[in-house]
Amino acid sequence: MGGTLPSPALPNLSDLIFETGIAARSFADFVTGSGLRLGVTGLSRAGKTIFITALIHQLTRAAKLAAEGRRNTLPVFRLIAEKRLTGARLEPQPNDAVPRFAYEDHLAALTAADRHWPESTRRISELRLTIEFERKAGWRPGPSSLSIDIVDYPGEWLLDLPLLGKTYAQWSRETLEASAAAARASLAAHWRGATLGLDPRAPASEDQARRLAELFTGYLKAARAERYALSTLPPGRFLMPGDLEGSPALTFAPLQVEDADTEIAGSLAAMMARRYEAYKTHVVRPFFRDHFARLDRQIVLVDALAALNSGPAAVRDLENALADVLTAFRAGRSNLLSTIFRPRIDKILFAATKADHLHHTSHDRLESILRHLVGRAIVRAENVGAAVDVVAMAAVRATREAAVQQGRQNLNAIVGTPLPGEEIGGEVFDGTGEVAIFPGELPADPRAVFRGETLAVSPGEADYRFVRFRPPLAELGTDGLPLPLPHIRLDRALEFLMGDKVR
Amino acid sequence: MSMPDNRPRPRAFRLDDVVIESQPDAFLVEADAALPAVIDPDEGAIEAAQKRGLLRRTLISWGGLFWSAAGALAALALGLWFDRLIRDLFDRSTTLGTIGLVLAGLALVALLMLLARELTAIYRQTHIARLHIALAEARAADDREAARTRVAELAALYAHRPETATPRALLKGLVNEIVDGRDLIDIAERNLMLPLDEEARREIATAAKRVSVVTAISPRALLDVLFVVAQAMRLMRRIAEIYGGRPGFLGAIKLARSVASHLAITGGMAVGDSLVQQVLGHGIAAKLSARLGEGVLNGLLTARVGLSAMAVCRPMPFAAERAPGVRDVAPFLFSEKKKD
Repeated sequence: MGGTLPSPALPNLSDLIFETGIAARSFADFVTGSGLRLGVTGLSRAGKTIFITALIHQLTRAAKLAAEGRRNTLPVFRLIAEKRLTGARLEPQPNDAVPRFAYEDHLAALTAADRHWPESTRRISELRLTIEFERKAGWRPGPSSLSIDIVDYPGEWLLDLPLLGKTYAQWSRETLEASAAAARASLAAHWRGATLGLDPRAPASEDQARRLAELFTGYLKAARAERYALSTLPPGRFLMPGDLEGSPALTFAPLQVEDADTEIAGSLAAMMARRYEAYKTHVVRPFFRDHFARLDRQIVLVDALAALNSGPAAVRDLENALADVLTAFRAGRSNLLSTIFRPRIDKILFAATKADHLHHTSHDRLESILRHLVGRAIVRAENVGAAVDVVAMAAVRATREAAVQQGRQNLNAIVGTPLPGEEIGGEVFDGTGEVAIFPGELPADPRAVFRGETLAVSPGEADYRFVRFRPPLAELGTDGLPLPLPHIRLDRALEFLMGDKVR
Repeated sequence: MSMPDNRPRPRAFRLDDVVIESQPDAFLVEADAALPAVIDPDEGAIEAAQKRGLLRRTLISWGGLFWSAAGALAALALGLWFDRLIRDLFDRSTTLGTIGLVLAGLALVALLMLLARELTAIYRQTHIARLHIALAEARAADDREAARTRVAELAALYAHRPETATPRALLKGLVNEIVDGRDLIDIAERNLMLPLDEEARREIATAAKRVSVVTAISPRALLDVLFVVAQAMRLMRRIAEIYGGRPGFLGAIKLARSVASHLAITGGMAVGDSLVQQVLGHGIAAKLSARLGEGVLNGLLTARVGLSAMAVCRPMPFAAERAPGVRDVAPFLFSEKKKD
């Protein structure tokens, strides 16, 4: 299987062409000698943009800071600890048709006077970072360079990858079943009412299709809201349409259908099924082929804290979404032939982001929760020989730690400036001034967070509550440019992901 | 999920209302621990010497290629000759031919066995050298996990030696207890290595004594040289054996290379050592008699070779124990002047 798409038993012609296309591109990549393709995978709000921005900022500034004799901010990343990094620069990316990752804008957002997190990503963008370093091992020690290609994209689109292996009827059935579950029923009531009252065999009407698509989109958007923080919500373009808004490929919705229904010419079901297939062909496949089919290394960013805030139903939902998404990737040990024609991901790092929202004494528990969340993906990746690691990480660290004395107890708290509108223990913040926050304790047994049916737990009864903070104040270097922001274990992530490529 | 417990609820504290103790930044502490520890120059010399000899990959060097190719040619020539021999034997009589064939078969089996032994010996040697480097790293980083696995490997190295049973049992117990990485390695050194170190030092002392006496009385310079070289080789092999890495023929070459590099690297450091003072004419023995002086000098040389061999063969760095010097292993070479 090689970690491929869940495909039907007999591969049809379009699958064959699709695979050939991937192999041809891989071969072209191999011949032109491009470097490392790093897949930054994560659902929306997992922190992909921040991770990429922080990674570039750290690496492009590291050589200069070392020359000034400043403290090394990435001590675990051996390339820098051994002082072999001589420089890093941004280069035009190889793909001319894709916008460039707006690194400068994102960095400015983080470090400007009114520091704020960058806007959520609305379209795909790409970037190539070339690092210059001294190789110390291998056939050719001495000066060398490595290009790292990174893609940023709206995390919502990732949810589409599992659709590649599903027919319209299959997808409709699964979506309807999911929407009937206790956690979602109230959110989906409106749309379900409309769709269950319809006869899918009736003649197609554009009006009806539009209305259904609108109601369905409304349900998806409601479920994603921070209060609920649900994750399994394909198709992703309904939430973040990019430039396809209003096109027929985005005007469909699941119906209560059987496979046979979709073959009745002129029926609503047939129209919807055709649009669903068009969505797969014109939206999902190109996205997968161009950006995910050829990766060397992968980091999967998971915002476990948002799901934990919402409750066990959201955590289980996140687990399902991740398991679905990760089946689309090809993991496995690499060899020369696979490197040329069919690149495999030989190292996967699962990172629980925003680890700065809790005290470091809780990081072990966060890591074990993440280990449970992505358990299925870990087992699969290890079975085919890929290396896997799990880490609690914060690409940008917005808090510091302190102990708060309360009565006879000493609470491990974090100190930072919460975002305006954030709330904890009945207190709402205005976004100015630092506070110490005790976020509660994660359970010692990771399975505890999966138990229960609750969704959107009210703040009063939660055992833990994670507040979002404003970015930290950036220090300026001697050249007036911002110094790399503090982080948590970004260096460990880098060492795992590309340490062996820069030995 | 509301439980009637007295666990602290999540809440916020205004900084001016409560007592806040700042904590040392855990990540900075972690980062400091990750910074490469300053490597002791002696240990650096040992590791460099190991890399030049014991850990050297001969097969991919040009020299290695030359020897492999030349060796294969010689083997072909031997094969030709052998083929002719067997044919000739069969021409004379079938019995002779059969005997020749059986003998050849026996020789082949023995050769294969020798080859296998050679390979395992080299594998063992590299394993010990790697273990040395890994233990040094684990100790510098105070890495508990690495220390546990490495110390377990170390104990496994001596599993077939009954005299190490007690320290091995002790270490096995400790591996499961909570002991810091550095402490665990130090305990292993003090318990497991110490007796072996004693044995190695005794060997060095005997060899040094023997060399100094024989050179002092031997009639010819050439014999001296041969004797010293033979003794040095024998000493190196013996020390490797004590530490668990009994070398074969190729292994002995690798070992000699490592020892020579170690001598070369540490040669500069030895300027301050008593050896040089001794050689430069402070030795009363040398003033008394040229021959006696030569004996002392050769004895010192042998002792130094032995100490270098000890350093590169030892599966862990000298840390809890002090690395012995020439004066420790061969005090008789120095005390002579007082006696005379």
